[in-house]
Amino acid sequence: MRVLLVEDEAEIREPLAERLRRQGYTVDAAADGREGLFLGREYGMDLGIIDIGLPEISGIEVIRELRKLDKHFPILILTARGNWQDKVEGLEAGADDYLVKPFHIEELLARLNALVRRSAGWSQPVISGGPVQLDTSAQRVTLEGEPIDLTAYEYKVLEYLMLHAGEVVSKSALTEHIYEQDWDKDSNTLEVFVRRLRKKLDPQGSYQPIETLRGRGYRFALECKR
Amino acid sequence: MVLIRRLSIHQRLLLAASLVLTAFLGFTGLALDKAFRSSAGEALQARLYSSVYALLAAAEEGEEGALTMPPVLTNPRFNRPDSGLYARVVGQQTGYRWQSASGLGRELDFVRRMAPGEAKIERVELPGNEAVMSLNFGVVWEDFNGRELRYTLMVAEDLAPQLEQVAAFRNTLMLWLGGAAVLLLLAQGLVLRWGLSPLRQVAEALTDIESGHSEQLEGSYPRELSPLTSNINSLIRHAQARQQRYRDSLGDLAHSLKTPLAILQGLADQADPVEREQQQLLSEQVGRMNQIVGHQLQRAAASGRTSLARHLPVGKVVGRLADTLSKVYSEKGVTWQIEIPETLNFKGDEGDLMELLGNLMENACKYGRSRVQVTGELDQGRLCLRVSDDGAGIPSEEADAVLQRGHRADQRQPGQGIGLSVVMDILTAYGGRLEIGRSEVLGGAAITFCLPAT
Repeated sequence: MRVLLVEDEAEIREPLAERLRRQGYTVDAAADGREGLFLGREYGMDLGIIDIGLPEISGIEVIRELRKLDKHFPILILTARGNWQDKVEGLEAGADDYLVKPFHIEELLARLNALVRRSAGWSQPVISGGPVQLDTSAQRVTLEGEPIDLTAYEYKVLEYLMLHAGEVVSKSALTEHIYEQDWDKDSNTLEVFVRRLRKKLDPQGSYQPIETLRGRGYRFALECKR
Repeated sequence: MVLIRRLSIHQRLLLAASLVLTAFLGFTGLALDKAFRSSAGEALQARLYSSVYALLAAAEEGEEGALTMPPVLTNPRFNRPDSGLYARVVGQQTGYRWQSASGLGRELDFVRRMAPGEAKIERVELPGNEAVMSLNFGVVWEDFNGRELRYTLMVAEDLAPQLEQVAAFRNTLMLWLGGAAVLLLLAQGLVLRWGLSPLRQVAEALTDIESGHSEQLEGSYPRELSPLTSNINSLIRHAQARQQRYRDSLGDLAHSLKTPLAILQGLADQADPVEREQQQLLSEQVGRMNQIVGHQLQRAAASGRTSLARHLPVGKVVGRLADTLSKVYSEKGVTWQIEIPETLNFKGDEGDLMELLGNLMENACKYGRSRVQVTGELDQGRLCLRVSDDGAGIPSEEADAVLQRGHRADQRQPGQGIGLSVVMDILTAYGGRLEIGRSEVLGGAAITFCLPAT
C-alpha cells in the first residue's frame, strides 16, 4: 500500500512515516502542499494523509486538485483546530475521514485500514479467498486456518492483489504501489516475490491462487466474498 | 403623542405637508369668497343708486307741481310684476303713495322717512322667504307754490339672483381648490417617495446583509447619506476583518499548541514497552492538556450573538453536516431523518452553528445504532433544534455533569460528554439552553438546544 503523507512539521512527519513503513506501508512524505500535489499526481497512491494547515498550497486545495485530476484514493485529513468548518470543508473537497491532532498512532492506523478496505469495496477487515484468509488489521495470512510466514514485501503484494481480487493488476501498477519512488523497480524482483508467494500459498500447486496473464499482469483468481 | 412618535419619516412629512396645504387652500378659499361677495354687494349698491336716480329722472310734476310718478317707467323691470326690482315713493307732507307695477301684491311698506340727501341701505326679509336689499333715499321737491315737499324714494332688489351667483361661484371655487389640493397632495406624495427612497434603499440593503444576500450596503447613495452608508460599510468590514483576524489567530494558536502535543503524543506512542507506566502517564497528560486547550479556544472562538449577523438557513448546515458524517460513518450506513423547515434561520456565526450541530450529530452517529433524526422549529420566537438517535441514551449522571454550570474542562466526562461540553460552552455565549432526554420515536438520546429570540 502506497501512502501519500503531507505534513509540514518534521517532528510529526518523520516518526509517522517511520511507523507507517514498519506497518508495511510504502510512504511518500512531503513537507508542503506543492510537493504533496506533485507526488500524488505522479504516483499511483492507495491512501493519503494530508494536514490541512500547510504552507504554500493548503491541504484543502491539494485534495481538491487531486480529485480534479481523477485521483480517487481515500484521503484522511489531519486538523489541529478540530473545528467543524474545517472538517466539513475538507470532506466536501473530497477527503473521506478526519483525525484531530494530537492523535494516537493506533487510531490513525485503524482509520487507514478501514479506508483502504472501504475504497476497495470490502466491508470486513478479513478477506477470504478459498483456503486463504488475509486479516488486513492484524496483517496476518492463514492457509486453511494455519498462519503462514510472509516477508513484508510478500505480504504487500498479496494484500494488494487480494484487495483487488478478480481484477488484473499490471506489473507496473503493482511495483508502483509497493516501492517508494527511489527504490529499485526491477520487475524481476516482483516476479521473485510472486513465485515465493505461490510456493507458500499453494505448495501442491492444486488451486493456483495467483494467475499470470502474459503481458498484462497478475490476478488473484480465487473468489472472495465482499 | 405615542402614536405621533411611532410615525415614520414619510408619514410625518406627509402629515405636516397635508396640514399646511389644507390650511393654505382653506384660507385662500375664504379670502376669494369674501372678495367675491363684497364686490357683488358693491355692484348691487351701485345698481340701487342708479335705480333711485332713474326714478328721480322719471318723476313728473303733477297737481300744483307735486311729485308724481308716471304709470310706466323706462326700466321694464319696474313695470313687470315679480321682476325682482321694486320701487316705492312716499310723500311725507302730501301723503302721496306710489308703488311700481312690479311690486304688485307685495307689501313694500318698509319705507323709512329719510331727511333730504340721506340714504340708507338695508336688508329686508319679505314674507314668503323673499329677501331684498333696499335703498331709502330722501329728496326735497319744490312745488309751484315754492313749498319744499319731502319725499322718500325706496328701491329694493331681490337678493336671490345674487345669492345664486355667490353659490355658483363657491361651487366653482370649491371644485378648483379641491382638485388642486388632490393634485398637490398626490405630487407631494410622489416627491416624498422619491426623496425618501434612498433611506428605504438603505433599509433594504441592511435587510439584504442580514439575510445573507450581500456583504456590504450596495448601490450609490445621495450626498447626504453617503457618509452614513460608507461608515456602515467600513464598520461591517472592520467587524468582519476583526472577527476573521481573531479566528485566524485562535486557529494559529491551536495549531502551534497542538503540534507540540501531537509530537509528544507520537513519542508516547513510540515509547519502549518497558516504560509502559511513564508512557501511560505522558499520554494521559497530553490528552488532558489537549482538552484544556480545545475547551479554552472553543470558548474564546464562540462569538455569540452579533449585530448585523446573517440569517443562516439551518437546513443547509444540517444537510452539509449529514453529508460529511455519512461519508465518515459510511460503514454504519446511517439513515438520516431531517425535518427542518426551509424558512428556519439561525442568526449568528456559521462556525458556531456548525460546532453545535456537528458535535451533536457526530455523537448521534457514534452512539446511535443506525438512525439519526434532526428536527427544528421556532418555539415562541426561540430557535429550537433537536438531535435524536436510536442508541442506548445518555446516563443521567453524565447528563447532570454536563448540564452543571462551571464544570472544569479537565474534569470532562468521557463519551458523549466531550461533545456536549463544547455545545454547552457555545450555548452559554448565546444565552441558550440545553436539554438532555430520551427520544420517544427512536428510543435513544434526544438532545435539544434552544436559542433565545432576537
